[in-house]
Amino acid sequence: MPEMAKSDKRFFYSLVPAALVSSLILVLLFIVLIYYSAPAFKEYGFRIFTTKTWSPSEESARTSEYGLFIPLLGTLVSAIIAVVLALPFAISTVIFTEEVIPKGMNKVRETFSTLIDVMTGLPTIVYGLWGLAILAPFLRDNLYNPLYAVLGSIPLFSCRPVTGTTILTAGILLSMMIMPFMYSVIRHSYKRIPAIYKEAALALGTTKYEYSKIMMGMVKPSILAGILIGFGRAAGETVAVALVVGNTFNMPSCLLSSSYTISALIANQFGNAALYPYMINVLVVGGLILLLIGIVSNILGIMYLNRVRYTA
Amino acid sequence: MAEELLEVRVEDLNVWIGDNHILKDVYMRAVPGTVTAVMGPSGSGKSTLIRVINRLIDLVPGSKVKGRVMIGKINVLESDPYMVRRRIGMVFQEPNPFPHMTIYENVAIGPRLHGLAREREEIDRIVEWALKKAQLWDEVKDRLDDYPYQLSGGQKQRLSLARALALKPRVLLLDEPTANIDPVSTVKVERSIIEYAKENMATVIIVTHTPQQAARISDNILFIYEGRVIEYGPTREVVLHPREELTRKFLGGEV
Amino acid sequence: MILRTGISFFTDTPAYPGADEVGGIGPSLLGTMWLGIVSTAIGIPLSVLTGIFIVEFRNHKLAKITKVFTHSLLEIPTVLIGMLVFLTIVVPTGHYSLLAGSIALVIVMLPYTMSYLERALDEVPRTYKEAGYSIGMTRKQVVFKVVLGIAKPGVAAGLLIGVAKGISETAPLLFTIGSARGDFPVSPMDLGKPGDAIPLLIFQFIQSPYENWHDLAWGASFVLTVIVLVTFALVKLVVREVKL
Repeated sequence: MPEMAKSDKRFFYSLVPAALVSSLILVLLFIVLIYYSAPAFKEYGFRIFTTKTWSPSEESARTSEYGLFIPLLGTLVSAIIAVVLALPFAISTVIFTEEVIPKGMNKVRETFSTLIDVMTGLPTIVYGLWGLAILAPFLRDNLYNPLYAVLGSIPLFSCRPVTGTTILTAGILLSMMIMPFMYSVIRHSYKRIPAIYKEAALALGTTKYEYSKIMMGMVKPSILAGILIGFGRAAGETVAVALVVGNTFNMPSCLLSSSYTISALIANQFGNAALYPYMINVLVVGGLILLLIGIVSNILGIMYLNRVRYTA
Repeated sequence: MAEELLEVRVEDLNVWIGDNHILKDVYMRAVPGTVTAVMGPSGSGKSTLIRVINRLIDLVPGSKVKGRVMIGKINVLESDPYMVRRRIGMVFQEPNPFPHMTIYENVAIGPRLHGLAREREEIDRIVEWALKKAQLWDEVKDRLDDYPYQLSGGQKQRLSLARALALKPRVLLLDEPTANIDPVSTVKVERSIIEYAKENMATVIIVTHTPQQAARISDNILFIYEGRVIEYGPTREVVLHPREELTRKFLGGEV
Repeated sequence: MILRTGISFFTDTPAYPGADEVGGIGPSLLGTMWLGIVSTAIGIPLSVLTGIFIVEFRNHKLAKITKVFTHSLLEIPTVLIGMLVFLTIVVPTGHYSLLAGSIALVIVMLPYTMSYLERALDEVPRTYKEAGYSIGMTRKQVVFKVVLGIAKPGVAAGLLIGVAKGISETAPLLFTIGSARGDFPVSPMDLGKPGDAIPLLIFQFIQSPYENWHDLAWGASFVLTVIVLVTFALVKLVVREVKL
């Protein structure tokens, strides 16, 4: 390509500031998070990840103990529950839109799909409000209490559900929030399966069930991508989780007890953290972890997505 | 403004796009007041050739150009492409008036851009003149504020031609301008082109893949095949007594 | 709820906790409007110029990096954006402000807006660009007079989606605007002061033990949902295929 003309160069450089500002946001985020989390590492070392207590003290760092173990575990548990619950719904909804809604009813198909899309667009605070005021009490009365009564001997369900705000509620609410994402990732690939494969599968005389199974096999990488991207979203979601997870430092090993997630911890504590030595720094460590989870799951997800290829 | 006469001369032109050698040692000459047809089967490099003349080739990623393209006394390949393009008009294969501008604006944008006219009346005059030259005026004079999507394909193409003519280009390039339009519009476009060349002593170069069109409107023909110049000469001679076997075959519809 | 209080729901300040009446979401609604306006005002030029850079100079290394970095913003939990703005703007200036919140929302909207924008700019057929160059336009003129003109609907859709995403966010506002809901932010001068927004009000009021504040939160969430849905409907009108 020939040298840029002079006026093009001027144009190029006039756009550079905007581009720099846009791309430096991410860089700045990394720098700030690392900068602010360093003192926490220096003071507490690796202990912040393994300690289970959270006892801030206004006096000094020595008398306060900040453990991220519980919220970290809470984040993982709630996000895993969310993905596990959302996946079957996402897959069957894709099959429903693409295979069950009859061929001639494209209008219906698109409207249905738009509705699910709108679910993604609803403000997360609305999910949170609904989750706290309606979902949580409902689950407590109709699911948790019976579960506790029947399966109370299993450790997972061995704690008495006092409130409806539990780690399981967080997982269930999150599953509703990420289902549409996973749906759209999987459907996007599903729609691109070439007609010849569909015909070939049908020609084998498969039942609708077997057929759908074969088709899902073809978009397996995108299902994995959906899982990863959904997991990343669930782990990073903040206000909705903060409203329904209960916000207490209980081990999330019992799903019926209230617990904590990193995002909820940040949401609740960060505003006042300046009052306590090192609390900001510890919370920033949590933020750094969230950032890593978000970015890693997304990079892996995109890698899987790129693997969806239909070669004859 | 005294109208300069700008001859177009191409010498030793070689063009690569990526690893493909598209044009090989191409030469040509187009004289003011005449129409030169660049003729050849699709994929022979015709469109690339005229895109070198106004440096639109710069937009093609991975393109590399060697040789000389003289317009008057300047070598286009060594000049600022924007200065070059001001005096060269172009009409494309796809009718492409700007869809977000009215018919009037489409023609007025060039003169406005280059400050050829400032007063509204002056611009009105140029717009009317260009639309008349493109044989479109009668059809659109009452709806200059409509948008191009309301026009037929042939009308759109004549609008694109008017847009180019409004700048009174000394060199006019046309890339298969009638390939996608109706016969009536084709006749009008062809007539406009010839008139413009003669009346303004402009240098017109038209790419075409039909020998019939080349025969109808051109004074000279350049026949390219697989990136090489096969034959170049006055239209009558090339059409009636082709020197090369390949040219004969092309005229007979065999390649 | 809103029917019961009528228009005053939109204009009053919230009632005292535990009071019989609920009051209104006036300051929060105004705050959300300001956040929308200011983040759009900053976000439009930033995203349009960045988008042009990415698309027009796509072969340039800097453009490639910019693309990866801006798109990655989508994967950042939004609470971290609040954290970032708190540490870099709120702490140095010493106080919360609507302006700080607006900047946080710009970061939220940027990746959404960008992906729409890039697609819209990309989809402008090459032949129109060629036509622009052929009448002697510079690259800048081609971009601003031709490409943006043709891509207008897509660009508008991207901006609308971005704003809708921005104003419906809560987490980036938690530590940036300060939930001051006693005063009405009316003049642009108030942007430097703490303020409130609808999502923040919902988040805090639903966690309070007061019945009347719960009612207010429900009403507010209805208003927020309507605003967001109307925006999406608008976008749907402008472009056919919408990805939220």
